[in-house]
Amino acid sequence: MLTLPCPNCGAPVTFRSPALPNRVCDHCRSMLVRSDAGVGIAGQGAALPFDVSPIQIGTRGRFDGRAFEVIGRVRWSWDDGSWNEWLCLFEGGAHGWLGEAMGDFMMTFERPLAEVRSAELDRIARGAPALPGRKAEIDGEELAIADARQVSCIAAEGELPFTALPGWTIYSVDLKAASGRAASLQREGDEAWFYDGRYVTLAELSANNLRAIEGWTMPRYG
Amino acid sequence: MADAAVAQPAAKALSCPNCGGTVTLRAAGYSVTVACEYCASILDVSQPEVRLVTRYNEKASRLAIPLGTRGTLDGTEWEVVGWMARDDSGYPWEEFLLFNPYHGYRWLIEQRGGWSFGEQLTRTPEGSWGGLKVDGESYKPFFADGTARVTDVVGEFYWRVKRGDTVRTDDWVRPGAMLSREADGKEVNWSRSRWVPAATIAAAFGVAAGGKPWPPLPHQPSPALPFVKGGIVIAILAFLALLVGASITGGGRSLWNGSIAIAADGRDQQATVGPIELTRPYQRVRVSADVPALSNGWVDLDYTLVDRKNQASYTASKAAERYTGRDSDGDWSEGDQTAGADFAALPAGTYDLVIDYKGNNWVDPNKSSGNFWDPGAGEQTPDWRRDAVQPQVNISVRSRGGAGGGVFVLMLILIVLPLGAGFLIHARFEGARRGESDFASGGDDG
Repeated sequence: MLTLPCPNCGAPVTFRSPALPNRVCDHCRSMLVRSDAGVGIAGQGAALPFDVSPIQIGTRGRFDGRAFEVIGRVRWSWDDGSWNEWLCLFEGGAHGWLGEAMGDFMMTFERPLAEVRSAELDRIARGAPALPGRKAEIDGEELAIADARQVSCIAAEGELPFTALPGWTIYSVDLKAASGRAASLQREGDEAWFYDGRYVTLAELSANNLRAIEGWTMPRYG
Repeated sequence: MADAAVAQPAAKALSCPNCGGTVTLRAAGYSVTVACEYCASILDVSQPEVRLVTRYNEKASRLAIPLGTRGTLDGTEWEVVGWMARDDSGYPWEEFLLFNPYHGYRWLIEQRGGWSFGEQLTRTPEGSWGGLKVDGESYKPFFADGTARVTDVVGEFYWRVKRGDTVRTDDWVRPGAMLSREADGKEVNWSRSRWVPAATIAAAFGVAAGGKPWPPLPHQPSPALPFVKGGIVIAILAFLALLVGASITGGGRSLWNGSIAIAADGRDQQATVGPIELTRPYQRVRVSADVPALSNGWVDLDYTLVDRKNQASYTASKAAERYTGRDSDGDWSEGDQTAGADFAALPAGTYDLVIDYKGNNWVDPNKSSGNFWDPGAGEQTPDWRRDAVQPQVNISVRSRGGAGGGVFVLMLILIVLPLGAGFLIHARFEGARRGESDFASGGDDG
């Protein structure tokens, strides 16, 4: 845990883990980066557009028996809409992403592509287009490519493992299995990252400290 | 940090770029398209700046459940945020998009006055096209290769929607639920909808209760089925109760009891006993004979019941016989000293029972019984008819209760007839329901 003044506005900013070197200043929305040399400014973030997501920084829950807390978010958009990826910090320091789109949630974790060893994913990671409907076998389970598109960062908040500035554009491929397993591959230039997980519900996560939304009864889970 | 305790506003107001009307965005952050509720223009709300996609200048359709209406189903409150009218070759229906920020989206589907509550699935059903399974429930094919077209749209949606959009559809059903697959060129979506009684929707959303859809909805459970199932259970219980009742009343009412003596010489005898009063229109009557002294012999018993009024007579006969002995295997016995004879259906009246009977002794032909010229010379042959106490036949006449005709007729009227009517209603409902299916002709149990 490291608390420093924001180099732009002087407001105190806290970094919880060296694995999460990025932070958006709550006050001036500067995208800050922590390094051995101190804290620098990577760019200017944008205000998050109004939404009625039930998740907020500080929402807590459990996934597969492990407690987590939401500490950051990136809002992405594509041609036909936008969605949230909430960064969840787990006990022990690992992190996962709680994706929120169309009212559904999925929890995914980054996995090295080399470990996944899927010819189809390797092909896409090397620059080939992903074709919806095509199958990729991962850990003996068949996943189908649900969609593939260019996505752009709209805004971010809280702590993050990377610099996500407005306008940052990557190629994103979603995969789904019949079991409810969900995965995605993200590509920027010749770099690619793979995230693997499954659909979840807030009830299943025993989510608490949800965002209060006017006129709606907040459910109590767990 | 802003005050965490302050609740975030739930909605945002937009101004329609075409008509200037104030449009409420109830699912901000999720919604992509809004169809203006005043002029029906299609707006793009995916970007901070609202953009006009298709201009219409018409009065938007009036909805059975207006946008913004909230209703509670299964304990969760939902708000109507969007509405679509869809059609598959002249087969129209309406879909209301429901939203709760904590629970996401659901669908309220109305067709011919019948309602369903639907949700998108995040899993793909297992199985083949012949039958699918979700959450352990099996579904059978019902509609195949349909084309659903959007004919009208009002409100906000989380995807780009416009009039004329089409998807390819296939549907599977089970009683009470339908599984639907919708596919466009880009993606495949699975949803499950559950049939909801119109009264439940009427109570939750204040919509006028729908009529009874006919033909029924594909997944509508037969209204007669609970009745038929309950009826079968009642019939089984009633039948068991009748059996138990019959065994408790021990075959009904006693009509006459008495004894008749058996002559030692074994001659033909006749006795007339009675009167025997039969009161029900028709009854089964059993005449039981018990010959306690019977041993190695038999008694022929012929019964004639004679109606005193018209001399109509009914006959039955049954011999009582009993043999015992000893051979290389030890003691043996055969037959029974009691015998019952049944009269199936006797009309009411006052009867006399005429009994023709004859006591017989059995002589083992293999046993020596002296010489023909001197019967008394060998071992004395035992004769049960010659016991010290004169043997007699105890006669008991009873009407058979319980299973008697009247109760059965009553059971038939009270249970079987309504049950049969229930079956007919159920069969008619199922016939009409299946008749709508694309698999109607081929399927025997679709």
